[in-house]
Amino acid sequence: MPERQQRVQALYEIALTIGGKETLTETADAALAGYLRKLNCSVGGIFRATEDGYTPTATIPADPTGNALLSAGIDHLAERSNDAFPSHTEPTAGDHCYLFSLPEFGALVIGKQGGELDTATRSALTPLNEKLAEACRNKLVERQLREQRNRFEAVFDAIPEPIADTVVEDGTEEIIASNAEFERTFGDTDKTPGTALVPDGSNSDSGESTQHSRPIDTDDGDHRVTTETTCETVDGTGEFLFHGVPVAGDQADEYIHLYVDITDQKHREGELQRYERLVENLPIGVYRTTPGPDGEFKLVNQGLVDILEADSKAYFENRSVSEIYADPDEREAFSDRLLSEGAVDNVELQFETAAGNQIWGEVSGIVTQTDDGPVFELALQDITTRKERDQQLDVLNRVLRHNLRNALNVIDGNAAMLEDELSDDNDELQSHVEGIERRVSNLEALSEKAVTVRSLFDQGRSTTTACDVQALLARVAKEFEDRHPEARVVVDAPEESLYVNADVRLKMALSELVSNAVIHNNRATPEVQLTTETVVRDGEPAVEIVITDNGPGIPKHERKAIESGEETPLQHGTGLGLWLVYWAMSLLGGDIHIDDADPGTRIALQLPQVGGDAHAQPDSGTGVAVNSGD
Amino acid sequence: MEFAYSSATGDALRNELTSLTAQTRVEGLLVLATPAVDITADSFETTLGSLSVPVCGGLFPQVIVDGEPRTSGLLAIGLPTAPTVTVVSELSEAGDDLDASLPADGSEAAFVFVDAHADADGVRSLIDALFRTYSVGLSVVGGGAGRLDGGDEPCLFTNDGVSKDAAVMAAVDQPIGIGVRHGWNEVDGPFRITDADGGTIRELDGEPAFEVYQEAIESNTDATLHREDFFETATAYPFGVSRLDGEPIVRDPFAVDGDAISCFGPVPEGEFVTVLAGETDTLIGAAEQAAETALTAEPIADTPGTLCVFDCISRHLYLDAAFEHEVAAIDTAGWPMVGALTIGEIANDGTGHLDYYNKTAVVAAVSDDA
Repeated sequence: MPERQQRVQALYEIALTIGGKETLTETADAALAGYLRKLNCSVGGIFRATEDGYTPTATIPADPTGNALLSAGIDHLAERSNDAFPSHTEPTAGDHCYLFSLPEFGALVIGKQGGELDTATRSALTPLNEKLAEACRNKLVERQLREQRNRFEAVFDAIPEPIADTVVEDGTEEIIASNAEFERTFGDTDKTPGTALVPDGSNSDSGESTQHSRPIDTDDGDHRVTTETTCETVDGTGEFLFHGVPVAGDQADEYIHLYVDITDQKHREGELQRYERLVENLPIGVYRTTPGPDGEFKLVNQGLVDILEADSKAYFENRSVSEIYADPDEREAFSDRLLSEGAVDNVELQFETAAGNQIWGEVSGIVTQTDDGPVFELALQDITTRKERDQQLDVLNRVLRHNLRNALNVIDGNAAMLEDELSDDNDELQSHVEGIERRVSNLEALSEKAVTVRSLFDQGRSTTTACDVQALLARVAKEFEDRHPEARVVVDAPEESLYVNADVRLKMALSELVSNAVIHNNRATPEVQLTTETVVRDGEPAVEIVITDNGPGIPKHERKAIESGEETPLQHGTGLGLWLVYWAMSLLGGDIHIDDADPGTRIALQLPQVGGDAHAQPDSGTGVAVNSGD
Repeated sequence: MEFAYSSATGDALRNELTSLTAQTRVEGLLVLATPAVDITADSFETTLGSLSVPVCGGLFPQVIVDGEPRTSGLLAIGLPTAPTVTVVSELSEAGDDLDASLPADGSEAAFVFVDAHADADGVRSLIDALFRTYSVGLSVVGGGAGRLDGGDEPCLFTNDGVSKDAAVMAAVDQPIGIGVRHGWNEVDGPFRITDADGGTIRELDGEPAFEVYQEAIESNTDATLHREDFFETATAYPFGVSRLDGEPIVRDPFAVDGDAISCFGPVPEGEFVTVLAGETDTLIGAAEQAAETALTAEPIADTPGTLCVFDCISRHLYLDAAFEHEVAAIDTAGWPMVGALTIGEIANDGTGHLDYYNKTAVVAAVSDDA
């Protein structure tokens, strides 16, 4: 075969070995083997030019340091600049090493022992070398792209939100890659979660993508999408903030989809909106102001508008807070106190409405720190009606305590003088006088009980003092047996002490009930039994005190008034006794149940049970210190 | 090197091999068996396992003992230094990522035997991997093992037993000189291989391979190629894969299936092949040159040693009676001559590329000195 033809064949066959491999190393390795096989050479290397010199990409043998010829070629390479190629060295007689340029990549070194490459072959290698250089450059770029892709995939998988890579073809969007969180959230699917994120292409108004459009173009023409959507998930249904970002693709429209789970956020928003509606519709004023003597309104609800008889929330714009105070100076004092204490409860203040009416308000509030400094979060309740009733009660109390009792004292004194003047044989007049005295006495007792009832409320709604119930019952029983030796008051309680939070009002209630049982008893020997036991009341442990008597029972109309909690002209009691018990129990957080007994009446008082070591105070008026048993 | 030829089997064979290994300069055995030896017999494997030195070998169509081809018996060659034996299993599955690193760095040479009936691409992967790893730093010599009419049968062995679809390698410390020549000359071509797979050529120049091959032979020689007796004619007209500055690499066609021609060894698609023919004198002269090259190689000059010959069985079939002249041409006074007639030869000559050849005479002059 002619030498030229043989050379062309060899070069062609070398060309077949260039390219078609996965990696740069494989490409260089296969090509180098092809060069050596077809040129019948024994050693060689492909080297990449770097800032630090030439680094081997592939060598034959794999360890070039053990081969003298290739080592000589590498040394020679290190001494040459790129424009000095091709180059040739003969380190030992008959052994030749050739250096060729691989443009924009590096250099090719080929060693032949015991022979040399002819000039024509060396020259003919130039286009092959350029092809090899191009293949290596491409693989280098591919490697860099692969590394970049690997980094991207690492980020892709590390993102804690579901993310998917999709393509749209013929109006259908399919997932081509997704991260683990996506699969965990939506399962193994190739369909885009959510509702119709890729509408019909006929709706597209853009000429750039004729196949489809996105539902919301937040950035004109570039098909970016940000929208909230509801998606089926492996756990049910979730709310997601969907971001769709287009990726430039050659064949089809490609997108990156990111789903941010906002289910909890949406739930919280709903809760907040409901809460805001609740606050807005509260019959109390809720508002936020700045501190200071004047103060500025930052937020008001409709409740405040109504309480202060304003026409709208706009009334409070550009109006200082002090202007709603009846005495603007009180605003400064209130602001100072709130700043000082951080929170206040039930501060009674007088305000002036937009209509000029003065009202009483009960204000509670806290100080909250914001980026702009402290603000007051306040709640105002209109207590004008209550204050007026308090005034009425004060007047009535005065009437009961002074005017009525003074008048009764005068009547009683006159009745006594009248009785003294009556002769002993004038029985009829005597009985009239005694009737006057009895009625006066009853009215005095009623007046005193009314004062007692008033005192119930003076002590507030709650107490934190633990009371030993057994000890209290024993004390009450003893007092009545001393006062009424004809009666039997028996305490039947377990030895173990039971405790409730109570003060003197419990003793007042018990005394009232035992008194009724003894005094209004028609038996020769009134009997009253006091027992205790633990019960469950509204799911919580409670102590039940039961007072049972052998009397005639409580009239039905009295019981009904107590059970319904109100009196009417047709349904009312004859006194204040049961109301005293009812209010006392209510104020102490307990309740009362009245039942018939055989004979007599069974009245049960229930109060929340507490531990004996809690809130210990020696005596709060019950006369029974905690754990004293006395 | 000491060697022993035996036709014994069973315990007698074990005794003879044991006696050989007992000699002072025998640290390993290269065992070349003929098809007459049942290497699958339990006794044979027992014998291999019982030997106290590393063993590496294969079954070949014939063995050469003292310059004479033998069709029966077994030749055991004593290696003066302990070889490092490596087995590459599932050779047909070997790819470009095959690790051909031998566990004995610094070895001078390696005897490599492959299953000749393994996939041609697997054989090529092994040869390429050896060359990429060692280049000419390791002198490699050997050939394809197996029965000429064989197939899926074990044909390689070590102390661990016999194997198939594999390669066995024995790395040794002895320097060797290698000569590789065939003497075949081009009679037609080149033809581009336009469709091929492994060792099978389906198309040449875009035409059915058999038709092109037949036309090349019949228009350039007096021979006539028939499908029925393809091997008998084709053995005289192998393919040549050309390379610059060297003899073409011979590919031996041995079967036709339709228009596809099967060869021993890979025939990569896209490369060019020529059709070769040989003259008796030329082939014998090439073998003689191979011996001269091996004996004059720098590593073994002026040292005592042994000629290990791996000549292709198809050369023997082609030369027929004249093959004794080829053996005689290789035979060199003072150099005992042993070896095998192989199905494909493996060698690099110390200066060029490592390859898998057909119809080629490979002569290795193995120094007795490490």
